[in-house]
Amino acid sequence: MNVLDVNSITGGYTRKPVIHDLSFSVAPGELVGLIGLNGAGKSTTIKHIIGLMNPKDGEIRLNNVTFEEDMDKYRSSFSYIPETPVLYDELTLKEHLELTAMAYGLDEVTLASRSELLLKEFRMEKRLNWFPSHFSKGMRQKVMIMCAFLVDPKLYIIDEPFVGLDPLGIQSLLDQMNEKKKTGSSVLMSTHILSTAERYCDRILLLHNGRIRAQGTMDDLREAFNMPLATLDDLYIAMTKEQDHEELA
Amino acid sequence: MKNLHDVWRIRFLHYVNELQKYLKYVFTGHLVIVMVFVAGAAGYQYSEWLKTAPSDFPGTWLVAGVIGILLSFSPPTTLIREPDQVFLLPLESKLMDYMKKALSWTIWSQLFIALLPFIVAIPLLKQVGNVGNVTLGAVFIFIVLMKFWNVHVEFAFRWANLGKGVWGDRFVRALVSIAVLAAIFTMNPMYCALLIIPVGFYSFTWSRQKKRQPFPYEHFVRLEQNRMLRFYRFANYFTDVPHIRGSIRRRAWLDIVYRLIPYEKKSSQNYLVFRTFVRTDDTFYLWLRLTVLAALGTAFIGIPIVVMIFVGALAFATALQIKQALSSSSEFRMDMLFPIGNSARSKAVVKLVRFVQVAQALIILATLLGVGADSMVMYVLPIVVVVVSEITIRLSK
Repeated sequence: MNVLDVNSITGGYTRKPVIHDLSFSVAPGELVGLIGLNGAGKSTTIKHIIGLMNPKDGEIRLNNVTFEEDMDKYRSSFSYIPETPVLYDELTLKEHLELTAMAYGLDEVTLASRSELLLKEFRMEKRLNWFPSHFSKGMRQKVMIMCAFLVDPKLYIIDEPFVGLDPLGIQSLLDQMNEKKKTGSSVLMSTHILSTAERYCDRILLLHNGRIRAQGTMDDLREAFNMPLATLDDLYIAMTKEQDHEELA
Repeated sequence: MKNLHDVWRIRFLHYVNELQKYLKYVFTGHLVIVMVFVAGAAGYQYSEWLKTAPSDFPGTWLVAGVIGILLSFSPPTTLIREPDQVFLLPLESKLMDYMKKALSWTIWSQLFIALLPFIVAIPLLKQVGNVGNVTLGAVFIFIVLMKFWNVHVEFAFRWANLGKGVWGDRFVRALVSIAVLAAIFTMNPMYCALLIIPVGFYSFTWSRQKKRQPFPYEHFVRLEQNRMLRFYRFANYFTDVPHIRGSIRRRAWLDIVYRLIPYEKKSSQNYLVFRTFVRTDDTFYLWLRLTVLAALGTAFIGIPIVVMIFVGALAFATALQIKQALSSSSEFRMDMLFPIGNSARSKAVVKLVRFVQVAQALIILATLLGVGADSMVMYVLPIVVVVVSEITIRLSK
C-alpha cells in the first residue's frame, strides 16, 4: 500500500489552476524527487499535499486517509520542511524541539533520546538556548530539519532542502533520509538541483507548466525521451525545449 | 514625474491611502468606545477638580511646560525612501522644493498634539489663572508659530548632525518654547522681545550648519522606516498587518508562568501562546501599559462610578487587543500543520487572555489595598475587570 496517493488533482490560488490533473504515488521506503523550473507548480503541489490548499478536483490520500476523513491522522503522517525556514522568533532551539514533540504526541524520553542524536548529527548541541535571531540561514534550516526528523513520520515532505545548507549539513540531511528509508519511511523532495536529485532519488517526477511530463526511474526517463546516455539535466532541457516548440506550433 | 513637486504629490497620496487603509480598522474598532469612556471619565474628574482648584495653582506654567515639551517633539515626516539615496542624488540642489512640502505637512499634521491640551486647558486658565481672551488668542497664535520654528529647527539639526544628539536639541527647544509661551502669558513686550534672540540665534546656527553637509539620506530613511513600523505595529492591534514582527525579549523572570503548563499533546498551543505573549514586546508591553494605567486610575480617581467606567474600558481594550494580536493568521506558521485540531490555537488564546486579565484584576486589588481604599464599593473593581474581560472574550470574533 502506498504512503501517498495523489489522484488527478487540479488546483491553484485563483480560478485559473496552477496544477492540472496530477497523479502520482509514493511507496514505503521510496525517495521521490519532484523536479521542475521555478513556477512549474512544485510548491503548489506540496501545499495541496500538506493540506494548506484544497484541490478543486481530485483526491489526496496520505497513510490511507484523506484530510477530510481524519485530519489528525493525516497530519500526524507527515512532516514538512519548507523552502524558507519558518521559525518562532520567540522560542529557543530547545523549545522548538519540545513544542514539536508535544504537538505530535512524543513522550519526554523519546524526545530526549531523539533530539540528542539529531543535535549531534547537525552540530547544534551548543545552541540549545539560542533564539532564531542569532541563527544563520543554514542554522535556521537545520532547526526545521531537526524538528521534522524528530517526529519520525511515514512521509517527509521537503521543499528545496539544499538551499542555504553547508556541505556538511547537506551530507547530514542525506544520511538522515537514507536512514529513514531503511526503516520504511518515504521522502517526497522538491528541488531544482538536478545532479543531486539524479544521484539520490529512486524515482523522479518531471513537472512542467503544472503537468507531469514524465515520471519513473532515471532509466525509465531516458527511455521515454529516447536519450540513452542522458543526464537529468539533458532530459530536463530537452523537455522544456519540446514543450516550447509545442506551444509555438 | 516632471519634478520633485510631483514626486511629493504622488508619495503623499500613496501615504495617505496607506494610513486610511489601516486607520479605518483602528477607528471603527473598539478604540473609539474606549476613548469615549476614558475621555468622559477624565472630563468629569477634571470638571469636579476645577470646582475646588486652589487659587494659587500654577496653571499658566503647567500649560507652558506641557505644551513646550510637546512642541519640541517635532520629527519631520519626509516620506524619503531607500532608493532615493541613489535616484534623487543628482537632484540634491532642488531637494528643498520637496522638503518644503514635507515640512509644511509635518507642521499641520502634528499641530493638534500641542493645540489639543491647550484647548482642554482653557477652562483652567480662565478660572484659576485669570487669563483673558486676548492672551488666549495670542498664545494660540504663538503655539502655531513655535510649531513652525520647532519643525524647521529639528529638521535642520538632524540634517546638520546626521541625526545624532536629537534629545539634546529637543531639550534646548523645549526650554525656549516654554520660555516663549510663559512670556506670552505675562503679556510683557519686554520679555517677548528678548526671547527673539535665542529663537533666531538657535535656528540660524543649525540652518547654516546644515548647508555644509550633504543631505543624510541614511538617517532620514531610517527615521521614515521606524515611523511607519510604529504605525503598523499600532495598527496590528486592530487588524492583521502582514510582515509585522515585534522585537523579542527572553524575560526569564517570567519562566514561572510556563511551568504551569504540563507536557502533553493537548497543551502544545498553550506552550506556544504563553511564550509568544510574554516574550513579544508588542503584546507584553500593551498589557503592562494598560494595566499600569488602570492601576493609576484606581489609585487617583476618587469617584467610584468614574473609576469603574475607566477600569472597565481598559479591561475591555486589553482583552480585545491581546486576543486579536495573538489570533492573527495571515502568515504561515508551523503549528498550522500540527495534528492537534484547528480550534486548539483559539482555545489557547482565550486561556491566555483569561489568565492575564485575572492578573490585571489582582494588580487592581493590590493597588486598592496599597492605597488603603476605604469605600467598600471600590472593591468591586477587580470583579469589573474579570467580568468585562470575560464578556469581551466571548463576544469578540
